[in-house]
Amino acid sequence: MAWRIGVDSGGTFTDVCLFDDRTGSVVVWKVPSTPDDPSRGIAEGVEQGIARVGARPADVGYFGHGTTVATNALIQHRGAKTGLIVTDGFRDLLEIGRQKRPDLYDSQVDKPPILATRDLRIEIPERIRHDGSVEIPLDEAALRAAVRQLRAAGVASVAICFLYGFVAESHEARAAQILAEEFPEAFASISHIVAPEFREFERMSTAVVNAYLGPVMQTYIRRLTGRLGAIGLPVPPHLTQSNGGVIGFDQAARLPVRTVLSGPSTGVIGAREAGRQAGLTELIAFDMGGTSSDVALLSGGECRLASEAVVHGYPIKAPMLDIHTVGAGGGSIAYVDNGGLLKVGPRSAGADPGPVCYGHGATEPTVTDANVVLGTLNPSFLLNGRMAIRRDLAVECVTNLAARLGLETMQTAQGIVSVVTANMARAIRVISVQRGYDPRDYTLVAFGGAGPLHAARLARELDISRILVPVSPGILCAMGLLLTDPRTDLALTRLTLLNEAAAVVLQDAFATLTARAESWFENESIPPDARQIVRTVDMRYAGQNYELPITLPSAPGITALAAAFIAAHQRLYGFAPDDEPIQLVTFRVEVSAIVPKAAFSARPDAGPDASAAIAGRRFVWLPEAGGSVQTPIYDRARLRPGNIVQGPAIVEQMDATTLVLPGMTARVEPYLNLILESAA
Amino acid sequence: MIDPITVEVIGSALFSIVEEMGEALIRASYSTNIKERRDCSTALFDTGGKTLCQAEHIPVHLGSFLDLIPHIIKRHPIADIQAGDVFCGNDAYEGGGTHLPDIVLAEPVFFDGAIIAWAVNLAHHADFADRGHAHIYQEGLRIPPIRLYRAGVLQQDIQALILLNCQVPRERISDFRAQMAANRLGVQRLQGLCMKYGRETVLGAGAALQDYAERKMRAGIAAIPDGTYRFADRYDCPEIDGELDLSCEIAVMGDSMHLHFEAPTQVRAGLNMTMTALLSTVYYAVKAIADPTILPNAGLARPLTVSAPSGTIVNCTHPAAVNGRLSLCQRVVDLIFGALAPAVPDKVTAASNGACFSITFAGRQPGDNALWVYLETIGGGSGARFNKDGLDGVHVHMTNTSNLPVEALEIEYPLTLMRYELVAGSGGGGQYRGGMAIRRVYRADHDCHVRVDGARILNPPWGLNGGRPGGKASIAASVPLNHGAAMLRAGDWIAVVTGGSGGYGDPALRDAEAAEADRREGRLAAD
Repeated sequence: MAWRIGVDSGGTFTDVCLFDDRTGSVVVWKVPSTPDDPSRGIAEGVEQGIARVGARPADVGYFGHGTTVATNALIQHRGAKTGLIVTDGFRDLLEIGRQKRPDLYDSQVDKPPILATRDLRIEIPERIRHDGSVEIPLDEAALRAAVRQLRAAGVASVAICFLYGFVAESHEARAAQILAEEFPEAFASISHIVAPEFREFERMSTAVVNAYLGPVMQTYIRRLTGRLGAIGLPVPPHLTQSNGGVIGFDQAARLPVRTVLSGPSTGVIGAREAGRQAGLTELIAFDMGGTSSDVALLSGGECRLASEAVVHGYPIKAPMLDIHTVGAGGGSIAYVDNGGLLKVGPRSAGADPGPVCYGHGATEPTVTDANVVLGTLNPSFLLNGRMAIRRDLAVECVTNLAARLGLETMQTAQGIVSVVTANMARAIRVISVQRGYDPRDYTLVAFGGAGPLHAARLARELDISRILVPVSPGILCAMGLLLTDPRTDLALTRLTLLNEAAAVVLQDAFATLTARAESWFENESIPPDARQIVRTVDMRYAGQNYELPITLPSAPGITALAAAFIAAHQRLYGFAPDDEPIQLVTFRVEVSAIVPKAAFSARPDAGPDASAAIAGRRFVWLPEAGGSVQTPIYDRARLRPGNIVQGPAIVEQMDATTLVLPGMTARVEPYLNLILESAA
Repeated sequence: MIDPITVEVIGSALFSIVEEMGEALIRASYSTNIKERRDCSTALFDTGGKTLCQAEHIPVHLGSFLDLIPHIIKRHPIADIQAGDVFCGNDAYEGGGTHLPDIVLAEPVFFDGAIIAWAVNLAHHADFADRGHAHIYQEGLRIPPIRLYRAGVLQQDIQALILLNCQVPRERISDFRAQMAANRLGVQRLQGLCMKYGRETVLGAGAALQDYAERKMRAGIAAIPDGTYRFADRYDCPEIDGELDLSCEIAVMGDSMHLHFEAPTQVRAGLNMTMTALLSTVYYAVKAIADPTILPNAGLARPLTVSAPSGTIVNCTHPAAVNGRLSLCQRVVDLIFGALAPAVPDKVTAASNGACFSITFAGRQPGDNALWVYLETIGGGSGARFNKDGLDGVHVHMTNTSNLPVEALEIEYPLTLMRYELVAGSGGGGQYRGGMAIRRVYRADHDCHVRVDGARILNPPWGLNGGRPGGKASIAASVPLNHGAAMLRAGDWIAVVTGGSGGYGDPALRDAEAAEADRREGRLAAD
């Protein structure tokens, strides 16, 4: 039981990360992904990876997996044929949504395709009131007829969403029973189970997305389980969810909607662990890849959980790490628009043809090309020499752009970097200042192929004084999979005024949720001493409609809860009346288990002298140093703990390049993470 | 001269500021109209009163801000204005809005002891309900731009005067507080930006962004063939009997455009538009056609000139009532689209639902007898496009508010929503079908007053290039309606069907599969 395996299955590559519990060594094995059936590539990668480290399948003690199967099915609209059963009068709610059009000015923009067509949305006489009372009883005969009609129409999935299903479950529960009787082979997605929260459109949308993805996910998990079993892995596989925790495959198959942000959430976990090694808990995770950047803020080592987000056009109410994505990556294309300003992205050169400097026929300059021109990226090769770089082509395309702007080539290349940095700064402001957090109090954790290269400029733009570059920035997601705890999030909406009587509601709600948490622990076989439950309440002033999540204070009682809410409101909005009625809205529990994970080991201090790691020097265009300067190039693999690198400097490694600006110092900490700090 | 890269970098930062202001306003507010329906806007203005940057929420709000700063300066000597002063206004004629419920708060941004810009936001306060609309004095309290705060101190007298004129003062006071919080953020963030980049650079970049919007607007207009284009239509609404003739003449000359409108004399009803409402409508429509990506700042207005006879419904003068101006604004957009259709058939749509239906309920809460007001607007069909169907059941053109969830509406007000659906047959036929209308059926669970405002009850939205007209709007209730208004008793119902929209192209050319899907999905009129 020595090896832990994390598999991050992306669109192009499947990264298999193997960690040896005994020696602490990490091996990464990359294989091409197999998009038609991702489980094939994964099984091959795992088998080869295990063989490469000389282990046997029986030696594997943990298997964690992050997948884009659900996300891709949603983006490419390859989900199941889905039916929807709704309250009489509301079948078009799924289409109408909130009546907003997708773009304010552009009449060519469409709403995302509706996942259950109008003929497969059936209205049933029934009506529950907001207080839970029944105004119109459920018409069971109509329901049976509806289920038969959907079955005859050939749907594979059925979503059920009635008004106030989150207040009183009786009608939805009975409908689910009838569905199981009449059409047992259908995938069932019931709104009060999938998203027991108020706001009918978002709940309905979530139930429908879940239904749409259900059969796809079930098929995938069945195949993957089969293939892993055939290899002889002795452990039950785990899948990461959008909340940054892992669940067993069974639950993932029932609630696939909870895995739509599975991929990015593992990066956040990886960033958290890198921060923990360095003793840092206030972090902004910055994952810059080829086409986009994902950013997330962690406070006290935890990433804020959003209970709702719009994912690829569909509102989804599910616990998700609050990750913000912007179309800015190394492959983002730079152009001059018809108003004469320099724009970068969101269009990307992608993996094929890639940036101009790859020499695969592209002609439009990208962020990567700009960096090659500037010399911040190696002008001869990337990936430790495995990929040749054509700097001449990059210079040519940037010079063409410069002519259109009336600027010099270097100035234009630097401009591309400045503009993409401004776009990313905007994304970070969304998750920091817009949520009441000052980015200056945080450390920027830079990873992904392009993150470490742009982190220094981004940090300066936001007045952030410290940057952490993890030891292997390009595979932090796969490493995050080795470090993820099992977790689920449960919720219950009960609109309640915060007064003395609320204590009973509070107690009841958490008793219900705790009981559910206990049964989850049992199902996931979590030992009692590893179990953790965090209780939060979404609260607002009576009359507001956006709630603030408040962690239940350790001091019991209504007064402490009110005080915690008022403090949070004051911080976020700058005012907080203390004499206005407060409402409790949704009760939540974060249920997790602290399980043994990969433990990386610290290395002994080798002193500050980093000269042994200098691999060479080259001219790098650094406006911060007044132009082109001879800059030392360090080999990351040769840097030792305690080594100190003074900027300006470039640190190169196989999967990333780190820029250290003039006035910055980079220090190697005991876990080999790089800490960049600006001189005060 | 600031280089184009710095302009782009500072432009990103300015957008962050107005977006952050908008988020703060929405999240901290109490009234359903702001918190769920997002009927509000935030912006930064230069000292000349020109928009530097506006968060894009509701296009008609562009007009509310147009004359605001000059009106403030006219009334208050600039030397007397101090940091922490907050001006509050809503008047359609004296600066602040295009109708009285839109209350604007403006705060000067001081840097190095001088005013360098203004943080401004607008919230549509769902109040002033169940009023008359013969002239503006019936429509609510008129507030010229006056200080709600003086050097950071709330002017209790002013606030008390405003609140006494409102039906739901508790919501007003909390919305004011949210508006204050939004402007405070704007002031602090802009000051921070000036500290980082220097005041001259920030303001210079702001000016350059206006030039940039102008260049893009000119490029877009230059792509429209030169010529003079005309279009005419008739306007009807529940407020008035009969119909009103509207027409426009658009002259495209190189990279500039002149738009002239003709319309009847202003009426004793709330449908009139002020010049600022007309300007914001023109800016919206031309931007949508010329280039939807143009930044919504003052620069985009420079290539445009607009005229309409004073004292008409499209350029009304004091004391015309203006509360329901939005439906007419919608129809002016359709006029512009109709006129330019021959020139740029791929940039316009067939007529959309041509209204902004609003329904306002006012009554007393069953428990404590407190007054309540609930306002919502209802979208409809969006016109078919040259290459695809129109959008079903959306807000079009000058508005884009969200509806309130049923599960929030029924908890807060003694109302029950019986149906909320698309209307079969309301999308005009064509090679590309028009978008479908919405039907909403409400039941009063307690006595209340109701008033519905809208348009296109007599005239259906037109199609283009052989496309058929869309469905007309209608209002029905269990009690008789007087110009869209009635008293409802508990158990009474009222149903609103908004307009559909026109189709595009000959229906005979419709793709067989699309026609079959329409039939299968029950989107066509029952035979």
